[in-house]
Amino acid sequence: MNAIADNYAEQNIGAIFLYTHEAHPGENYPHLTSMEQKFRHARDLRDVLSVTRPILLDELDGTCHRAYGSMPNMTWIFARSGLIVYKSDWTDAHSVENAIQYFTQIPKRRRAGERLAPFHVERLDYRNQEREQFYKSLERNGPKAAAEFRKAFPSG
Amino acid sequence: MDDILTRYNYDAFVPEKFEPWMNFEASPKTGSMGLDSPLWNLDQTPTRLSEVWSQHDYTIVEFGSFT
Repeated sequence: MNAIADNYAEQNIGAIFLYTHEAHPGENYPHLTSMEQKFRHARDLRDVLSVTRPILLDELDGTCHRAYGSMPNMTWIFARSGLIVYKSDWTDAHSVENAIQYFTQIPKRRRAGERLAPFHVERLDYRNQEREQFYKSLERNGPKAAAEFRKAFPSG
Repeated sequence: MDDILTRYNYDAFVPEKFEPWMNFEASPKTGSMGLDSPLWNLDQTPTRLSEVWSQHDYTIVEFGSFT
């Protein structure tokens, strides 16, 4: 996702990471109880996990996150007007890049004189589950996070 | 800490605590206007989601956390 932000910045595409709540709280990164702690965790996201996009924080009660369905790692794309043009209940870089490649053509097509009208489309995309990497991240959160996930999803 | 803060910032990944927040089906639809909301920059200055999306032709917003 960082690479997409870098690769499309010159085409007037913005990208941010919006910090929500701890999906898998553990001993090292427990559930949030203050904004001070939330800022600290967000700085670690930048410094430890190398998120290079601007990181913005939601309110402690998740006002923004809850308004958009509060999935743990979803991605939305907004047009400059605020129009919602893409929503995905999970973040997948291939899916996002595919959408961005489509949307970056819209201003060009309009400038070329095409009369465009919006329509809705539903599509089922597929992502790599990257299980090994995911379990490593759970261990980084703390043993509790890994144990709780295994208990919630024994076949996961 | 009030109830919504406690429930939203759940202390354990157990179904009865995380499942109530999986509400994607009830989220705003594509083609509708985004809901504006107050946010914070990492330097602790306030901003809004509308300030973010108004800066570029399109803006990608990934929601998530360290964990």
